[in-house]
Amino acid sequence: MKIAVLSGKGGTGKTTVTSNFAVNIKNSISIDSDVEEPNLHIFMDMKNPTSKPVYTLYPSIDKDLCTLCGKCGDFCNYHAIIPAKNQVIVFSESCHDCGGCKLVCPNGAITYKKREIGKIFNGRSKYDTELHYGLLNIGEMSGVKIINQLKNYTDSDETVTFIDSPPGTSCATVAAVEDTDYAVIVSEPTPFGVSDMKMVVEMLRQMKIPFGLIINKSGLGDEEIYHYCKDENIEILGEIPFDKKIAELYAHGEIFSVSIPKYKDLFNNIYKKIVEGRRSL
Amino acid sequence: MNINEIIVISGKGGTGKTTLAASIIPYLDDLIIADCDVDAPDLNILLDPQIKFTNKFVGLKKAIIDSDKCVHCGLCQTHCKFSAISKDIILSQSKCEGCGVCEFICPNDAISMKDAVVGELYESSTNFGDFLHAKLIPGEETSGKLVAEVRKKAKALALLNNKKNIIVDGSPGIACNVISSITGASQVIIVTESTFSGLHDLKRIYELTKKFNLKVQVVINKFDLSLHHSEMIEKYCSENNITIGLKIPFTKKIVSSIVSKTIPSVGEKNFFKDIGFFNFIDSLV
Repeated sequence: MKIAVLSGKGGTGKTTVTSNFAVNIKNSISIDSDVEEPNLHIFMDMKNPTSKPVYTLYPSIDKDLCTLCGKCGDFCNYHAIIPAKNQVIVFSESCHDCGGCKLVCPNGAITYKKREIGKIFNGRSKYDTELHYGLLNIGEMSGVKIINQLKNYTDSDETVTFIDSPPGTSCATVAAVEDTDYAVIVSEPTPFGVSDMKMVVEMLRQMKIPFGLIINKSGLGDEEIYHYCKDENIEILGEIPFDKKIAELYAHGEIFSVSIPKYKDLFNNIYKKIVEGRRSL
Repeated sequence: MNINEIIVISGKGGTGKTTLAASIIPYLDDLIIADCDVDAPDLNILLDPQIKFTNKFVGLKKAIIDSDKCVHCGLCQTHCKFSAISKDIILSQSKCEGCGVCEFICPNDAISMKDAVVGELYESSTNFGDFLHAKLIPGEETSGKLVAEVRKKAKALALLNNKKNIIVDGSPGIACNVISSITGASQVIIVTESTFSGLHDLKRIYELTKKFNLKVQVVINKFDLSLHHSEMIEKYCSENNITIGLKIPFTKKIVSSIVSKTIPSVGEKNFFKDIGFFNFIDSLV
């Protein structure tokens, strides 16, 4: 089973929730797909991971074969290949690696070269759980390729994989959440939290992925989130109280249910709810 | 005229970009406001904008498959590098990146590329100046293009109305949305928080801004949450010659302001005065 953890708004507690699941749910795998700013490995204290590069392709022009006909430039919707007066100029950062320019070139002048856009790290945490995360190189436009490759580490149906997802609701989040069995939204009871959560709810409903909500920092804001959930018939799976002690543990990169064991049940119970909910479908 | 375009970004989400951007707004004159966090826009909540114009935003084109003409040869499916076409030749809207390979490869002209509306762009008025904001349809591509469009409109409006300053609320992360937000800006404010992950993410976003040769200053939010990490952030900034413009302690007052939909620096003006906020404002112009 694959469970995505997402939020819309940043900083509501995705990584906090994912790490608490990872240490409490036996034999679970966790993946950090927020490849722009991954943090899960810090909390999980990953030891000596192995890494491998992730590549994207971009076109390279054989000047001897190119007749400067301009077909590649006409085809490319990303302005990544532009035939100029004397040569074809390639903007590799703009290339989406669709393969179109090679298809339309009548002279076989285009081949593809690979360029590293980031890395995937594989290993185990200090808590002896399996952990994978991606890291996008600084200056790269999109981490979607890395996210798609990361999802290959999700296991069969017997184990559960928790996927810490990027904030927002654009393509990177879609890639992280796509093909998961369930999504846990983490939000906070503030107007910002509710507004961003609404966009996530819209996205998940479109993608037909069942979901529930964990309210983080409960008690800090107002009641709007409860009214919204009631109106929209959204299940509140559990609540993490606003507690300065939890915030301080977070600041130091620690998982709060490890330091304060009374919270272990919170995550075990939420997980139980998700599993039972799925069985009853 | 040189426009002073100030971008508020953070790397890590939830460190207080919108809170800070909103707090700056009432104290900058000659201002155009823009929210470039197009897939989680929140500035509107505090600004109470009156929308004047709404424009549909067309991103890239997307493929449309005519099932009457399709003979299920599968060529489009095998050529699509984004796995946007299933074995049953059904297009996934959210995966299609609009490259047009399927349209080209289809032997039966069953596929055409059509403009896809991926968001809305709004031009509004507020008590503090004109406000450009947008909303990406959840799950859509091309948010970087929408960000660029919001900034372009903000700049055009500033030139038209002789406004000196633009403030932009950015998005988290370091990829297309953020690159699109900071390219060509006058100055950048990075909002971080004094946590282990705050420092980790600050380093990555700062590396990104270096590539664009931008004037940068850092604001440490909730600095008293961990004085240890606050010191580490200060050390990192001093080693890299980055100005720390402001340090904000944690207070429930800011959350209460936001809950009551009040701009924190207006509702809690004395608190902001005490932390040196108005000197920080002076440093921006």
